[in-house]
Amino acid sequence: MKVAAALARFELRRYLVGGLLWLPASVLPLAGGLILQQLFDHLVAGRVPLLLCAAFAGIELVRGVTIVIAWTYGDYWWSAAAALLRANVLRSVLAGRGRAPRSPGEGLSRLRDDTGDVVQFVDESVPLAGAVLFSTAALTIMASIDPAVTLVLVLPVIAVGVLSRLLNRTIRRLHRHSRALGAAVTGHLGEIFGGVLAIKTAGAEEAALERLRRHNRLRREAAVKDRLATDLLDAATGATAEISIGLVLLLAAPAMRRGDFTVGDLALFTTYVGWLTALPRTIGVIMSRMPQAGVSVERLTQLMGPEEDLSRDTGARLHRDHPAAPRPAHDDPLRVLRARGLTTGHGLHGVDLEVRRGSFTVITGAVGSGKTTLVRALLGLEPLTSGTIHWNGGPVTDPGRFLVPGRTAYVGQVPRLFSASLRENLLLGRPADHLERALELAAFDRDLAGMPDGLDTVVGPRGVRLSGGQAQRVAAARALVRTPDLLVVDDLSSALDVETERQLWERITGACTLLVVSHRPAVLARADQVIVLDRGRVTGRGRLEELLETCPEMRRLWSLTPLEEPRPSAGARAAAIQADAPGDHGDHPSSRLTVTD
Amino acid sequence: MSASSPSRPSSRRAAPGRHALGFHRFRFRRLRSLWPGPGPAVLLALAIAVTTALPLAAPQLTRRFVDDAAAGAGTDRLTLIALGYLGLAVAGQAARILTAWLAARLAWTGTDRLRERLAGHALGLDMAFHGRHTPGEMIERVDGDVAAVAGFVVAFLLDVVAGVLLLCGVIAVVTATVDPGVGAVLLAYCALIGLGMVRAQRLAVPSATRAREMNAALSGYLEERLAGAEDLRANGAGEHAVRRFHQLSAALWRAERHGDAVGSSVLAATGVAFAAGTALMLALSGTLSAGTAVLLLQYTLMIRTPFERLVNQLRHYQTALAGLGRIGDLLAVRNTVPEPSPAAELPGAGPLSLELDAVDFAYGDDEPVLAGVTIRLAPGETLGLVGRTGSGKSTIARLVARLYDPTAGTVRVGGLDLREADTASVRRRIGMVTQDVQVFTATVRDNLTLFRPYPGDDRLLEALAEVGLDDWDLDAELGTVSAGEAQLLALARAFLADPGLVVLDEASSRLDPATERRVDLGITRLLTGRTGVLIAHRLASLSRVDQIAVVSDGKIIEYGRREDLLADPAGHFARMLAGVRR
Repeated sequence: MKVAAALARFELRRYLVGGLLWLPASVLPLAGGLILQQLFDHLVAGRVPLLLCAAFAGIELVRGVTIVIAWTYGDYWWSAAAALLRANVLRSVLAGRGRAPRSPGEGLSRLRDDTGDVVQFVDESVPLAGAVLFSTAALTIMASIDPAVTLVLVLPVIAVGVLSRLLNRTIRRLHRHSRALGAAVTGHLGEIFGGVLAIKTAGAEEAALERLRRHNRLRREAAVKDRLATDLLDAATGATAEISIGLVLLLAAPAMRRGDFTVGDLALFTTYVGWLTALPRTIGVIMSRMPQAGVSVERLTQLMGPEEDLSRDTGARLHRDHPAAPRPAHDDPLRVLRARGLTTGHGLHGVDLEVRRGSFTVITGAVGSGKTTLVRALLGLEPLTSGTIHWNGGPVTDPGRFLVPGRTAYVGQVPRLFSASLRENLLLGRPADHLERALELAAFDRDLAGMPDGLDTVVGPRGVRLSGGQAQRVAAARALVRTPDLLVVDDLSSALDVETERQLWERITGACTLLVVSHRPAVLARADQVIVLDRGRVTGRGRLEELLETCPEMRRLWSLTPLEEPRPSAGARAAAIQADAPGDHGDHPSSRLTVTD
Repeated sequence: MSASSPSRPSSRRAAPGRHALGFHRFRFRRLRSLWPGPGPAVLLALAIAVTTALPLAAPQLTRRFVDDAAAGAGTDRLTLIALGYLGLAVAGQAARILTAWLAARLAWTGTDRLRERLAGHALGLDMAFHGRHTPGEMIERVDGDVAAVAGFVVAFLLDVVAGVLLLCGVIAVVTATVDPGVGAVLLAYCALIGLGMVRAQRLAVPSATRAREMNAALSGYLEERLAGAEDLRANGAGEHAVRRFHQLSAALWRAERHGDAVGSSVLAATGVAFAAGTALMLALSGTLSAGTAVLLLQYTLMIRTPFERLVNQLRHYQTALAGLGRIGDLLAVRNTVPEPSPAAELPGAGPLSLELDAVDFAYGDDEPVLAGVTIRLAPGETLGLVGRTGSGKSTIARLVARLYDPTAGTVRVGGLDLREADTASVRRRIGMVTQDVQVFTATVRDNLTLFRPYPGDDRLLEALAEVGLDDWDLDAELGTVSAGEAQLLALARAFLADPGLVVLDEASSRLDPATERRVDLGITRLLTGRTGVLIAHRLASLSRVDQIAVVSDGKIIEYGRREDLLADPAGHFARMLAGVRR
């Protein structure tokens, strides 16, 4: 209800004007009925009143014109209200306290369908107002003709109201069920088209389709039931019109015999009764939409943070451009970032961390030791169950919103690029001031020079047309454009060739403070501070050479990755080293080559 | 965003000009999935007929009532007529519900069949197609477009078919019971209105198509942004993404506004036309009885309702038509990696030989990515591909797995040109592990089997054990996994598939040394008795391969047995190794 009121308010003028424009469409039939009454009484008297016939058509013409105007005008409010809800959820998920949906396809179904349901519900208030106005006037006119019959006609209207209330709960349950199953279908479609490469290379198309059939069947059954319940309510209101006419006939029979109730009156009653059912019908629609809208609001707010308002008016309007994003605050340059006792639901237990300006910190450890969880938790991408974070000594209460550009920037393990030009992917709303330097730092300048369209090259969906290494470096450049004090990088070099990797670290070191997840010796060797994680706990901290003496886990990891290769005097030496371990290469020291400059 | 033009300029197999010829046939063929079969169709037709016939009787009762009342009939008789009217009203609604239920069921069944056919068709298309279309867009095209069609099919059955039937009924009854002249006027009038509506609706189709396209673009945008939520958030680009969304919404609104203006004008015009028609009827009926005048009024009101519904449905009709057009477009996209006929099977067991013979390749009409690549690998041998990122290594891998066909030259596996091999056997016999592992929001089992049924869990657990994921529960929902775990999962998939040729594209790049060693053992086992193509950026990962090919700018600049390349200190590979150590 709160959401509904806010939606009506946010563009109050357009909402009200739109509503007022609709009113004539509901009220004009009153005049139509009165004209018909006169017309029939003339007909019974044996005259054909052509003027009245023309007036009857004329009234409809006026009504038609107002409908066109009101409809076109009302479009704006509808689209703007839907855009407002969608933008608020999106903002919450992308920049606020919200959380990303389980699967993008499922989230899309919420943004697409649930917002539509909410707006539609609020929009129903307009026909309701019209129906109430019409009904009041019509009942008054009818009561002046025959109060008894009019009174009886109110009964079916009340009956429909009661029925709606009774059916409401069932409809709500059925609707929620069918929506959830609908989201399962879109979710599955999103999954199979998102993972189409895996499915195709495995030849699993038929199995994916079979699963789609199963989801389809479940949704189908639920949707048909949902529809049936709504239809039942709809039919009940529809039946009231017919039944009312029957009642009029039944009750007016004696009066008609007496001549108190003319054929004109009957014509008036017949037309009014048809329009009168708009009231219970509209009430019925509102009644059935209210729970649906309730479910939708619930599903939308689930994606948002606890104190965020789904219907907050941000001042953005469809007829003018959205205000540009504000430049992020950058007033307290990093001196030191401290974290104490970082703990998450799974994976991290009381980790301490200290990063000083200009330093190079590397987090390392085995798969599943919590490296990625640590940086994600620090940046607020994963919820902390306990622990504190301080920026230059000041406490950070909401890292997800504080540790962002221009303070920090983040390059994830599998960075996502969007279907847009490289320029858009890199800048994402930032001015291009630092673009060239960022591209150079990220060692992407050479790749870019080889692209005929340069920065206007459109990167395909999710950046598939770039190689894995290129995508990673574009993501790094995207972070560097933001000139962060602290650059957080998760396993950047995993898809890079040796030469490119060396170039990248050489250029990036010293450009900003670095916090890097890696297990590459080249990176470890550069670090001022290495933090070794084992099953979510810190087991070592210090420079690499110290750790190799003091930390058993570091030694265990290192035993597989020697820092130094036996120095080759010629290619032939290398051949010998490489070739002599085909069977037991696992234990062989040369299973990894390293950079040691 | 045209999906109808698969860009494959120099394919030997592309049948010329089929698209233009095939279009009309497609219009009918694509609707075939919606046909419910003869039994249900007859049942539905029956239900619609009853739903239409019942209300037709009602005005006859009102006429009797008015005329009898005027003639001074008894109250009993009038009451009886009124009660009959009430009974008809209730029965009419019951029939309507039944019809609606039946129609909804049949429509859902039919459109689900269409969804499945579309999804199947789209899944069968090559990676070039999927490279151009986001998952969000595909959701919109497989689900959204079909939903629009489904809504229309129900409306068509209930409003158009029932409406036309009702119209015919009314005209027949009026002609029979009132006056043939009045009936003829009514018929001519309705025909005129109907014609006008069809004309107006044609006007609205282009703007509806545009609105639909904007809608799909918006969906694609939202899906991508939701999927990349963390990247946007961590780069402080959330507000910017919201702003772009707003711009797309505004564009959608402009597109829809135009269509709605046309739609509402048609609705209003219909209303005016009907009022004028009613007035005309009444003017004509001046010479008939009062009861007949009431009957005519009721009949014109009665046909007005379905007409109004029909026009109201015009919006859906337009989107459905636009949706149907897009469905046709999607079905018309042909695979650039077509299924051969007759298809030959790859050898069913044992390692497969691999031959690339002067292979050229380009993505679409872009610059060539590969030129004159020639590789020969005996069964059971392994090849390592090295080179800078973007040099074309992954493209070679994709050609070997037949995700694309070469623009020139031949890829032969087991002695068979891949273009002549049965796709199912290619997928069965050639396994591929890619850089970016695609993990599904589903159970571990589904992630391992990719939704396929497997007899018994033993083999699944065995495959997990091969990569050291013994502690995973098959029925647990796979939550967030680290990139390392995802790669282990991908290797487990390969173990399960048991192929004769394995393509490992940087398969262990995201693993820490300890885990990588575990996987290395697994990879060695996987490659035992299989032919392998390995792509690795770290040269050391290639210590087990038999041959090395150095790729640069789409060409193989050095190729030979590994020990031979290492023995030549001036060669690229040896220099690369030396460069690493410097």
